[in-house]
Amino acid sequence: MSFRANDETVLNSVAELQAFVKGHERIHVVGRRSKTALHQVGADVVLADLSDMRGITEYQPQEYTLTVLAGARVSEIQTALRAEGQYLPFDPLFANRASIGGAVACNLSGSRRHRYGGIRDFILGAAVVDGLGRAFRVGGKVVKNAAGFDLSKFLVGSLGKYAIMTELTFKVFPDAPAFQGLRLRYDSLDEALNAVFRCNRSPQELDLLDFAPSDQGWSLLAGLAGFQDTLPQRAKQFVAMMREETALLDAMEVEDDGTLRDPLAGLTGNFLVKVVISPRQIPRFDALVRDMQRRYSAGGNVAWLATEDIGALKKILEAQQLPGIVLRGMVACPLIGKPLENALAARVKRVLDPQDKLV
Amino acid sequence: MTRMNHPFIEALGKIYPADRLLTRDVELLPYESDALTAFQSKPGAVALPVNEAEIIDAVRLCHRMKVPFVARGSGTSLSGGSLPIADGLMIGLNRLNRIKKIDPEQRIAVVEPGVINLHISEAARQYGLYYAPDPSSQSVCTIGGNIAFNSGGAHCLKYGMTSNHVLGMKVVLGDGTVTRFGSESIEGVGIGPDLVGLFVGSEGLFGIALEITLRLMPTPQLYRTVMAAYDNLGRAGDAVSMVVASGLLPGAMEIMDRLAIKAAEASVGAGYPLHAEALLIVELEGEAPQVEAEFAQLRAVIEESGAFEIREANSEDERARIWKGRKSAFSAVGRLSPDYIVQDGVVPRSRLGEALVKIDELKAEYQLDVANVFHAGDGNLHPLILYNGREAGALEKAEALAGEILAMCVDLGGSITGEHGVGMEKREYLPTMFSPVEMEIMRDLRRAIDPEEIANRGKMFPSGEAPALQMRGMHPLERQGVISRE
Ligand SMILES: Cc1cc2nc3c(=O)[nH]c(=O)nc-3n(C[C@H](O)[C@H](O)[C@H](O)COP(=O)(O)OP(=O)(O)OC[C@H]3O[C@@H](n4cnc5c(N)ncnc54)[C@H](O)[C@@H]3O)c2cc1C
Repeated sequence: MSFRANDETVLNSVAELQAFVKGHERIHVVGRRSKTALHQVGADVVLADLSDMRGITEYQPQEYTLTVLAGARVSEIQTALRAEGQYLPFDPLFANRASIGGAVACNLSGSRRHRYGGIRDFILGAAVVDGLGRAFRVGGKVVKNAAGFDLSKFLVGSLGKYAIMTELTFKVFPDAPAFQGLRLRYDSLDEALNAVFRCNRSPQELDLLDFAPSDQGWSLLAGLAGFQDTLPQRAKQFVAMMREETALLDAMEVEDDGTLRDPLAGLTGNFLVKVVISPRQIPRFDALVRDMQRRYSAGGNVAWLATEDIGALKKILEAQQLPGIVLRGMVACPLIGKPLENALAARVKRVLDPQDKLV
Repeated sequence: MTRMNHPFIEALGKIYPADRLLTRDVELLPYESDALTAFQSKPGAVALPVNEAEIIDAVRLCHRMKVPFVARGSGTSLSGGSLPIADGLMIGLNRLNRIKKIDPEQRIAVVEPGVINLHISEAARQYGLYYAPDPSSQSVCTIGGNIAFNSGGAHCLKYGMTSNHVLGMKVVLGDGTVTRFGSESIEGVGIGPDLVGLFVGSEGLFGIALEITLRLMPTPQLYRTVMAAYDNLGRAGDAVSMVVASGLLPGAMEIMDRLAIKAAEASVGAGYPLHAEALLIVELEGEAPQVEAEFAQLRAVIEESGAFEIREANSEDERARIWKGRKSAFSAVGRLSPDYIVQDGVVPRSRLGEALVKIDELKAEYQLDVANVFHAGDGNLHPLILYNGREAGALEKAEALAGEILAMCVDLGGSITGEHGVGMEKREYLPTMFSPVEMEIMRDLRRAIDPEEIANRGKMFPSGEAPALQMRGMHPLERQGVISRE
């Protein structure tokens, strides 16, 4: 692995980016570099920095749609939305540092994605420059559209390897005026998981539902969002149901200090990894990662882990056939575990980046 | 040459027993068109697979022998998507109708492509769950068809379309490659490009979905539904904007105009006020205490909105009655006229008013009746253009009017289709939404995935040979009253 700084160019416009792509052999895009592990590339690779392509191009609160340049900082977008009582329901991570393009390319959502869905559920369209330097649009700008192939969703998680996003359009929603966090304690992972399953079979609409090991057993973190006056009653009903039907030890209301909604809070290890998992796979997986810091998010559909021993985690993911992505820490390749090679993805690559320029 | 001696049919005969390989004219007749009855074409053969292997073998054979194929679910496509290709193979998927698994604790279902949309909700009901996308045809249309068109329904603004509810799938591409993507995680693909998102909405041009993992949702604890009557259509549109501006996120917001109201009333007697120029239906759903609080807010907004009559549903029966009129509106309007065309263009919600005025002008200019019934929450219009196909030139006139409406949707920054897909019907309009580069890239994608271009050949992309238009009208199932459209 080389630590030599790669050549880097700040690009200010689509035309500049097109020329840049046409003029170089191997290109890696950086937004605001909040995910360090993703930017370790070979010495022959030049960096295209999009952090200057920022700002909101179009925001119509009445339409529930928002169009932004890809280098825009997530927190700037959130501020603009908050002023209108709206939010990005997919709850992008690293809000203070990440660019929105980076959030889409890496598909990183926080805990509140539990309520309405992830990035794929809110992206409507994008403007891109592909590996041949062609600039074009994918998807649309309205909340409903079934015309043409939906390449906008394809960009979610694509890590800049197929086309470079320059502008993105999202569906946005009104945010709830109030939020209530709850911490429920269980003896074991099995009991916590049973509680999650119970939640999944109830009509209770939780804004977030995470669980993680704690000093005394396991904590289930739940969030309710809605009108201030309805929250106490809803929280009471929820806790009563959990007390009656799960092995709940105790429940307490928690301050909304940000850590409750942040799945990475307290994950301090050198290497930070996201794993896509389903709740039923967790018991077997968790038994293998007991010595790592971890939190299961979105009802146990994503695992966040922090560790010093990335080699061990890699082996575990390979054995369990689970895909993972390293977000922090020095690694040769950020994608670990179950290989991502896919015939369909390969065909798209052949069309959008036949010379394999985008890495 | 008789069909049975054709080497392709002979090779198919090695995959399918005679009773599941239809080649005689009388057997092929029911497959000649879909719900867009204007287009008809005779397939060379219809194969009725009962398992994945038979589908894969058939696709590989088609690839090898360069014979085009069309997958068919229930044939309810409104855009000619499941129209057969002349002398090609039609693969009927209705017998792959097993719900392989429902896992209520993970809120997922794994199904075969021929499963009927509504059957999933019925199977999930005992667990307090349902499958959210609810096209009006849900009692007959299949998940495979829904995937091809990214089908929607009345609840798309809040819950998204089909794509948002598919987590994983196994597919056979047009060149016979079998591949899987996604997972049972709610994240779906999660890491790496979202291939599920790419495949859904590809109109059968990439290949055939063989197995699909779907996300289920909890059945809402409470619905609160209100119907408001207005003396002009613009005011109903403004009311939608007011609801949105108040910060509410209703599950459904639907508008009907005078003609639609009258027809629905005559057909099912939903108790709609007959002198209304427009009706707005708004529905909230979710946890009871929250919905009650939202409903108080909604009521205040609607009271301010200039409605001359407001009706709240206070029981499940009353709710069903309000919806009954809405759900039957299209078929009801259809009964007023020998033939009709339905479009499903989208405009930005804030430009709904403008769009409706324009449709009114066009209606006058073309001297044709148009009824409007639409998903106001997401700007998805469903203008229903009435005409008499027996009058010379009437169909062409209706087509021209439909074309102007689509052009208007694109001009206003919207889309030519919100949920019915491009299919045969709108393929000439696709380039009005996409630039030449975008069209070229989509074509290249198609060729990279299916080099012989055999999967649903001739659909979505503009091309020279289109079967002649013959007539329009109701789907046979609509005539029988089995389904109705939104
Ligand atoms: C009365 C009526 C009301 C309707 N209401 C709505 C509505 O509210 N919302 C809405 O969105 N649509 C609506 N539709 C349109 C239609 O029902 C949908 O497009 C539906 O998804 C089609 O399903 P199907 O099983 O009938 O598919 P078909 O018509 O058989 O096929 C549709 C397309 O899917 C492809 N296909 C089928 N199976 C597969 C598979 N396994 N893999 C890949 N491709 C496949 C076919 O090749 C074809 O291109 C309505 C139609 C009618 C007749």
